[in-house]
Amino acid sequence: MYWENYYLPETVEEVLKHLKDSNGNARIMAGGTDLMILVKNGIVKTREIVDVCNVKELNCIKEEGSLIRVGALTTHTQLAESELLKKKVKVLAKAASKVGSPQIRNAGTIGGNVVNAHSAADTAVALTALNAKARIQGAEGELEKPVSELYVEAGKSFVDPTKEIITEFVFDVPGENEATAFMRHAKRKALALPILNLALWLKTNSDKSMIEDVRIALGPMDYKPLRALETENILKGQPLTEKTIKEAQETIVKEIKPRDSFQGGASYKIEMAKVFLARAIVEAVSDLGGKIDG
Amino acid sequence: MGKKQLNLNVNGKPYELYVEPDKKLVEVIREEVGLTGTKIGCNNGECGACTILLEGEPVASCMMPAFKAHGKNIVTVEGLGTAQNLHPLQKSFLAYGAVQCGFCTPGMLISAKALLDKNLNPTELDIRQSISGNLCRCTGYKKIVDAVQGAAAELRGEKEVKWPVTTEDDIVGSSVTRVDGIPKVTGESKFANDYFFPNMAYAKTLFSAHPHALIKNIDTSKAQALDGVIGVYTSKDVPGPNIVGIMPHIKDTPVLAGDKVRCYGDAVALVVAESAEIAEEALSLIDVEYEPLPGVFTVEDAIKEDAPKVHEGGNLLLHRKMYRGDVEKGFSEAAVIVEDNFKTRMNEHAYIEPEAGVALFEGGVLKVYTITQGAHYHRGEIAVNLNLPVSKVRVIQTTTGGGFGGKIDVSLQVLVALAAFKTGRPVKMAYSREESMINSTKRHPYYMHYKIGARSDGKLTAVQAEIYGDTGAYSSHGPGVLTRTAASIIGPYEVDNIKADAYCVYTNNPQAGAMRAFGSPQASIAYEALMDELAQKLGISAVEIRRINGYRKGSVIPTGQVLTDGVGFMETFEKVVEKSEFNR
Repeated sequence: MYWENYYLPETVEEVLKHLKDSNGNARIMAGGTDLMILVKNGIVKTREIVDVCNVKELNCIKEEGSLIRVGALTTHTQLAESELLKKKVKVLAKAASKVGSPQIRNAGTIGGNVVNAHSAADTAVALTALNAKARIQGAEGELEKPVSELYVEAGKSFVDPTKEIITEFVFDVPGENEATAFMRHAKRKALALPILNLALWLKTNSDKSMIEDVRIALGPMDYKPLRALETENILKGQPLTEKTIKEAQETIVKEIKPRDSFQGGASYKIEMAKVFLARAIVEAVSDLGGKIDG
Repeated sequence: MGKKQLNLNVNGKPYELYVEPDKKLVEVIREEVGLTGTKIGCNNGECGACTILLEGEPVASCMMPAFKAHGKNIVTVEGLGTAQNLHPLQKSFLAYGAVQCGFCTPGMLISAKALLDKNLNPTELDIRQSISGNLCRCTGYKKIVDAVQGAAAELRGEKEVKWPVTTEDDIVGSSVTRVDGIPKVTGESKFANDYFFPNMAYAKTLFSAHPHALIKNIDTSKAQALDGVIGVYTSKDVPGPNIVGIMPHIKDTPVLAGDKVRCYGDAVALVVAESAEIAEEALSLIDVEYEPLPGVFTVEDAIKEDAPKVHEGGNLLLHRKMYRGDVEKGFSEAAVIVEDNFKTRMNEHAYIEPEAGVALFEGGVLKVYTITQGAHYHRGEIAVNLNLPVSKVRVIQTTTGGGFGGKIDVSLQVLVALAAFKTGRPVKMAYSREESMINSTKRHPYYMHYKIGARSDGKLTAVQAEIYGDTGAYSSHGPGVLTRTAASIIGPYEVDNIKADAYCVYTNNPQAGAMRAFGSPQASIAYEALMDELAQKLGISAVEIRRINGYRKGSVIPTGQVLTDGVGFMETFEKVVEKSEFNR
């Protein structure tokens, strides 16, 4: 027996009421693609399920002024196929397109991907590079927290699914001289966790000759998506040249400390991070119509 | 826990069901709606055999709570077309030979349908991505991709799929529709887990907790006392000799382990209960007292003199010698000699359909519907171990979802028969993917030492090899596999002087048995690598050295047999060279 009761509320208000009434014995399920395995293997135990798949208000991708809002129940397929994201926030569309398989992408949601708190969850790595914030609602009210601060430890989120729910993710619409890129390497093209993934957000000056600002996120490196801050600092204010990229590569090699794992060896991951960093910069710059000088 | 109302619309038909809130969608579709075309392959959302359309999108129904689909529209394979009125995809899968065992087929068809519903001009990449969540172990995917292209062309109104595939006039020399093809594409084929009988009980196996241990005591009282448990059985409940084995002279595998376990795959107890869930719960209530023994997990360790013995007779099960000519003389004639050590790993067959069976008495005959690649062998083992005359046992091979040699050995067949024999009820057993991997046979891991010599003109003069095959805790086909390796010690190449020693060795690893090509592939890893090395040292091409030595009409193989007819090696080889553009 997995659980005794199953609720299918249709509004956030109803969701929070069920959680409150159950007093810690109920747990939110979004797509269920991760949670079902955790329950099956006895890692997560819950008496009641509050399935949020019918809460329509949380399934949306909207551009509002200078912000993009992504409802937490937007599926990976919807993210991957969104014309808005493909045009303006490639990093998120591409990250979502790499998750699992079509079957998993059709059920799994961006909120679930983040709350599952896996350090290499593709959309979480992308959201980290986008400096996205999550909006969380609980009985005590609402709060906003950067995605990068949602991790307590490996597999444990700041968001407690027995008490609260992420309603949406919010980030800035990439501007005129801003572009993003996402790189991923896995043992197979489907149904495989990444050996390494890397998300990039980059801003150049108006003639695309210099990096004004940059954010780089990688997984799996730490208990959460890792921001390569030293590498970012090396890149900031530098001209877009092969020399700059080479210096950034030399920095990232020293900065990241991946582990040997079933997915791949640490030294291999470091080499791949070097390659991905260069490829991501080249791709982002070329999307802006610029090029790397020799 | 109370049942709740669940409304589903399946293939256009509304269903008002009452089910427990923790049922999974695949269980409701198969057991409540009664549509068994949707399969369970891994129960982890990975293999795609359970794929259905939920509001038009393919999802894995094995990882989805049924209530997620409450009030929604579902399409299963049965919703595509019927035998009389097949969907273009179903015709095309048959016409292009994209259906083999048929177990992944329903999920493949559903994923392909989802693609074509949105895109009638798919590229090969589109198709491969659309089926990337559906695993197939038989076809290699190419024919499936071709079939989806073929169906798309018909749906675009361009070119109809050839149907029927053959008429009576053109049957000779052309592809024919497979005999069991139509039910495989409509979902009507009955695999073992698709059989349901009134009053059916469910059985589960308790596997060993140790790779090597003595069993001091088994206390089943708590499990027996659990509500819904019909019976709990151990080795002493087996009426017959409690031993099986595919090699008639080496029966070494207990049906239920008695005084000793030799690998994690050993069955220690059998529970029969009113539901699979209760049986599963009862397993955790069985107390087994083990005295762990040191184990051996490599052949190097197993053949040491003081190694722990897996079986009383020692760990060396077979030494097969294949000697011909004079290798010393052969090596003395060689201009170049190459020599190296090689290791290969254990392989799991990973057929998409895990082991399953249903046993029941009908008119005094014990009928066992089960997956099998050896129905008569299984019948014999059931009869002997239940002390029944062979005439009172019938084994019916159900449509079998891939085997590749892994379904020849006895897995759960005697156990499910024992369960029906003891309880008098129809009993079903179905292994999970995890249980399947723990219990089933594997491809033998090999440890090999090879030495090959050749003259300066590339002609091989001698081969000497020592091969050790790890057969795990039980023989299975081990001696046959190692004998085959000795006989094809140098594959398709002619050598006059041969000294091959092949050893089959017991360890506490999972038992290894038959798997595609039965002992030949492991050896090819070694000798093909050395053939390349020889060519390099002799300054000739990798193609040339194989042309010089390849089997032709009149070649003598290691056993001394002269090949007279149907020697297709050179022709095949030249085609491979051409098609792979090896010389480009």
